[in-house]
Parts: sequence; structure tokens; C-alpha cells
Amino acid sequence: MLPGGVFSTRYASDLAILRTKTQWLLLGLGLALLFTAPLFASSYWLSWLTGLGITIVAVLGLHVLSGLCGQISIGQAAFMAVGAYTVAILTTRAGLNSWLCLPICGLSAGLVGLVFGLPCFRLKGLYLAISTLAASYIIIYCIQHLPGTGGFIGLSLDPLRLGPIDLSSRAGVYVVTMVIMVLATVFAKNIQRTATGRAFMAIRDNELAAEVSGIPVFRYKMLAFFIGCLFAGVAGWLWAYYQLRVNPKQFGLYDSMWYVGMLIVGGWGSTSGVFFGAVFLRLVGVAVAQASPYLADTFPSLAQQIYVSLGLILSGLIVVLFIMLEPRGLSYLWEKFKAYYRLHPYAYWGSQD
Amino acid sequence: MTAQEEDKGETASSRAVDAPGIRPRRRKVFLVWIPVATVIVIGCVALLLLLPIEARDKALRAITDGILLGGVYALIALGVVVVFKSSKVFNMAHGGVLMFVAYFIWWLLASVRLPLWASLIIVALASVAIALAIDRFIMRRMIGQSGLTTFFLTLVLGFSVIQGIAILIFKGSPQIMPKIFPSGSLSVGSLDFSFTWISAFVVATLMFLMFVGYFRFTRGGLAMRAVSESHVISQSVGISVKTISAVSWIVGCLSAAAAGVLLGSMFAVTPDIGSFAIVRALPVLLLGGMESIPGAFIGAFIIGIAESLTGTYVDPHISGFRELLPYVLIVIILILRPHGLFGLREIRRI
Repeated sequence: MLPGGVFSTRYASDLAILRTKTQWLLLGLGLALLFTAPLFASSYWLSWLTGLGITIVAVLGLHVLSGLCGQISIGQAAFMAVGAYTVAILTTRAGLNSWLCLPICGLSAGLVGLVFGLPCFRLKGLYLAISTLAASYIIIYCIQHLPGTGGFIGLSLDPLRLGPIDLSSRAGVYVVTMVIMVLATVFAKNIQRTATGRAFMAIRDNELAAEVSGIPVFRYKMLAFFIGCLFAGVAGWLWAYYQLRVNPKQFGLYDSMWYVGMLIVGGWGSTSGVFFGAVFLRLVGVAVAQASPYLADTFPSLAQQIYVSLGLILSGLIVVLFIMLEPRGLSYLWEKFKAYYRLHPYAYWGSQD
Repeated sequence: MTAQEEDKGETASSRAVDAPGIRPRRRKVFLVWIPVATVIVIGCVALLLLLPIEARDKALRAITDGILLGGVYALIALGVVVVFKSSKVFNMAHGGVLMFVAYFIWWLLASVRLPLWASLIIVALASVAIALAIDRFIMRRMIGQSGLTTFFLTLVLGFSVIQGIAILIFKGSPQIMPKIFPSGSLSVGSLDFSFTWISAFVVATLMFLMFVGYFRFTRGGLAMRAVSESHVISQSVGISVKTISAVSWIVGCLSAAAAGVLLGSMFAVTPDIGSFAIVRALPVLLLGGMESIPGAFIGAFIIGIAESLTGTYVDPHISGFRELLPYVLIVIILILRPHGLFGLREIRRI
């Protein structure tokens, strides 16, 4: 809900994402903070933020596919692998420019996504989820066994350069990631406001009604798959330059599962939810990494496995509890908090949400 | 709400399997399928007889291995089907429970050194406790949620929470199960089968028949079949849907426990055994039809034999194809025949 005294007097102001001067100011400050982070953040947090940015790009794709269009995919990490391997193979074997590879990565992942989106012609819901689950295993198998992909060992890449500028440092990769993340966010946010986005949401809410209203359902579902996997491909490109090494192990079922988990924890169908979910679950990972040495000292018998198991149990429990108790996710809680704050002496929250 | 009720009414009328109007069509279906199956079987046998002796042995070996494996797959799939029938929850946590139980019995036998019968009783009690906990604290809150939500919930539960707990308690390193079944092997002609595999097959088939007998011939089983048709109608004729749901979870987890013990002694006890099992159960269920217990049985043998045959004939040319096969089958079945061989052809699964 909007702060008091802000009214939509024109269509443009009704459609605008940022309505008040405060919002513009906060956005400017946030962006400034984001891009000056290399000046003051430690290298651990810089690396963490880069990983977070890549995750957000991948989850934004899933947000378009699942949050907007309602087609759940448990294979986002595998589509990311397609992007990462495209750039690794094209730069090392064909000697292509790495920036030229960025659109190629997006396209290749999108096309692979289209192939595995084909079953959505007949299937939906649970059955589609199972077929994407199978897709993720099939892609990883192909990467492991096809010639030229480095098999189980993977491939190494040369560091990223932009003309004379060397971007191989942590800060360089960080800035590139953040630029792409911001662009991806703007893109995902704006899809929601176009006719395409409204068609996606119509399909999500009621497929039959959407079809009756003249939306070509299959075509739009395929488009959603294409866009979702395009984001994954771009995220894969970033991942390849973040790690400078691609390996089939980095894109397993667990990563795909956590991407959907982030969408759930953040809240379906809102771009801010993607940020909430990704930041929250990755912070849990940091907390586990920080806490496990102390726990290992306290319980020496569990020292070996406490890091792995604690991460699995905690993140899993968080996702399970969110599904059970607050399926609308953190972004809804945040909206509720804002509304409570703005209405403070009055408890009642009107019909807007 | 009204839309939901209408939807339910529609599927209920379309699945009135025993209605007199539908019977002739079912018989016709069997009239087509039985000759086709017979021709295929006779063709295969003839082909086998034509082959030279070593090739015949190789093929027979693959087929019998597939059948033995299929028995265990049937047991795994049964647990998922039972839960799916009674509550429309596709239980991806099945593999997690299976893995946990396999580790638990390994720990009881190898570290605590309990006798076999005591470990089996403890494991059965533990799996009942797990079932009741999942049913009461998680699934009862999820009644009425879409199948996709519960699918993802159980996926996270099995692959992450239960897996994490098992790794925390049992360290997660691969272990070899102490001998439960007699060692050695049985030789028939030029083939020999290890006793472990034969016993696993026998135990799996017996347990499967026991569960099927329970559904067919007891009041509880009848109530369960009624609940799988419609929750509202069963409740109104005095069947406690909550109890039935708890019982179905108990049956599911017991079948997971049995399969865990068998798989653990056939292969090794590893943290991956759970995903191995659930990944095999998926094509079995999709092929047999999600709601059909005989479908699970036949599907399990088809998948087992297919896996074993690819292991023998395709793996030397394309390495590791055997691991890929379940996923390829999942995609092919979903595209060609989403309701499986024996599943309900719902009007709206488009």
C-alpha cells in the first residue's frame, strides 16, 4: 500500500513502479551502495554478494516461469549449466569473445529450455514438475558424457576482460554481476507490466479462462520457458566467470531445489520476493558456515558432518515451515509490516494489498 | 469452493470404474492388450531360442536380474501409490525415509550388535513413528493444498531435512550392511543368482502381496479405497479420513523401510540410496499409472527388465546409460501416455 496523500491522478502514475520521492531517493542510495561496495566490503563478503547476485538472476528467471506463469521447474540449475558450458566451450575451443558469448549463452539455455518445456503441451502441475526434474538429470548426464565438455572434471576459463580493462579481480566480477543483476531485475519487473506478463498471470490463475479469453496458452507457456531459461543462461555465464571453472557437480538437483525454495520463502509472484528469498536463504548458509566450527568444538563426535547436515536441515526446515505457515512468503510479511507501520494507531488494513 | 466441488464431481463420475456402463469398454481394452502381450512374449521367447548359447545366457541373465530388481521396485512404488491414492500427495520423501531406515538398521546391526529380529522390530516401530509424525505434523496441515505444493514440500523434506538428519546421526559415509540373507548363490543351468537378490525378491513380493491383500480383503482396505475415491463422501458415510491418512502413511513408510533393508543389503548403504529409489519409483509409477497398485507391480517389472537390458546391451557402447534410462523413460512416458498403462484417464490433465 502507498503512503498517505499519494494519489494516482494519471495512468502513468498508476503504472509507475516508484511513486514517491522517498522511493527514488532510497533506490538511488541503494544502487550507490551496491556499486561502491568493492571500496569498503571485505573480499569474503564481496564474493558472497557476487554469488548472491548470480543466484538472484537465476531465481528471477524462475520467477517469470513459476511465479508469473505458474509452470514450476525443478531444473533451473541445469539450464544454468547449459549457459555456463556454452561460454566455457565457445571461449576455450572456438576462441570467441566472452562478451559475444553472453547473448549466445542466454539463447542456448533458452532453446534447451524450449525442448524440455514441450511436455507442457499436455502436462501441467505435478507432471510438468516431474518432467523438469528428469530434464535436469538428463542435461547433467549429457554434460558428463558428451565429448568436448571435459566430462566429470569440467573446463577452466580465461579471466574476463573488457577491451583493455582487466575484470579478473573480485571487484571486477562483482561489478559485472551487479550490472547484469540490476538489468535483469528491471527486465523481470517490466515483464509483469506488459501484455505478455498479464497473459502469464492469466495462465497461472486459471488456464481454462485464459484460453477462453483468447490467450494462446501453449505459445505463452513456451515463451515463459524461454525467458526463464534465458535468465538461467545469463546466470550460467556469470557463474562461469565467477568460478573460472565449470563442473557438472556445481549444477545439481539441490541447487534447483533451493532456487524454488528461495521463490517460496520470498513469496510467489513478486520481484521483491526473489530478493528476500535469495538473501534470506543465503544468509542462513553463512550463519551455518559461521556456527559450525563452534558446534564442531562443542560436539567433537559430530565434527565431520555437522556443516553439511546442519545446512541441509536448517534450509530444508525453513522452506518446509514457509510452505506450511506462510506460503505468501517474506515479501507478504514485509508488506504487512509496512502497512502496520503506516496505519499505526488504526489496526485495520483495507482491501488493498 | 463451488468450482472445486464441480471439479471433484466430474472426476468422481469419470472414475466410477465399476459402473455398469463402463465395464464393456474395459473388457475391450483387455481384449486388445492380452493378445498383443502374448505375441510380444512369444516373439521374445522365439528370438531367445534362435540365439546362440552364450548370447542366450547373457539375455536370460539380464532378464532375470531385471525381474529380481523389479520386485524391489514394486515394493518401493507401492508405498508411494498408497499415499497418493489416499491423499493425492506424491510422496517424494519416500526415498529419504528409505535411506534413513537403511542407515538405522545398519547402525543397529553393526554398531549396537542387536540380533536381526530385534533390529527389524525396532526399525518397523521407528518407521511407524516417522509416518505418524509426518502425517500429524506436516501433512494434516496441507490437506486441500494443490498436488504441486505437497510434491515440493515432500521433495524438500526427503532430500534435505531427512537426508540432513541421517547424515548428522550416521555420518553419511557408505557402509556395507551385515549379512541378513544367506550368502552364496543358486545355480540354475548356466545362470547363478545370489541368495541375497533372490531373498530380496521373495520378501518384496510377499510384502507386496500382503499389502495388496490388505486393500482387497479387509474393512480397513475397503475404507482406504473409498477414501481414495472421495474424501467428502467417505467422511459422510462414517469413515475417518484422518485415520485412513495416518494408516496410509504407515503403510507407505513400512514399505519404504522394507525396501530400505532390501536395497541396503543388495547394494551398499549410502546417502544416495534414497534418490536412487525415488528416481526408479517415478517411471514405475508413471508407467503403471499413479493410482493403480497392479500398475505399479507390472510397471516395476517392465522398468526393472528395461534397466537390466540396457545395462547389458547399451552400457558397453554408451557408458552410464543405465543411470540415465529412468529419466529418459519419465520424459517419454509423460509425453506419450501421461496417465500410464492403468491410471485413470482424467478429463482434465491436459
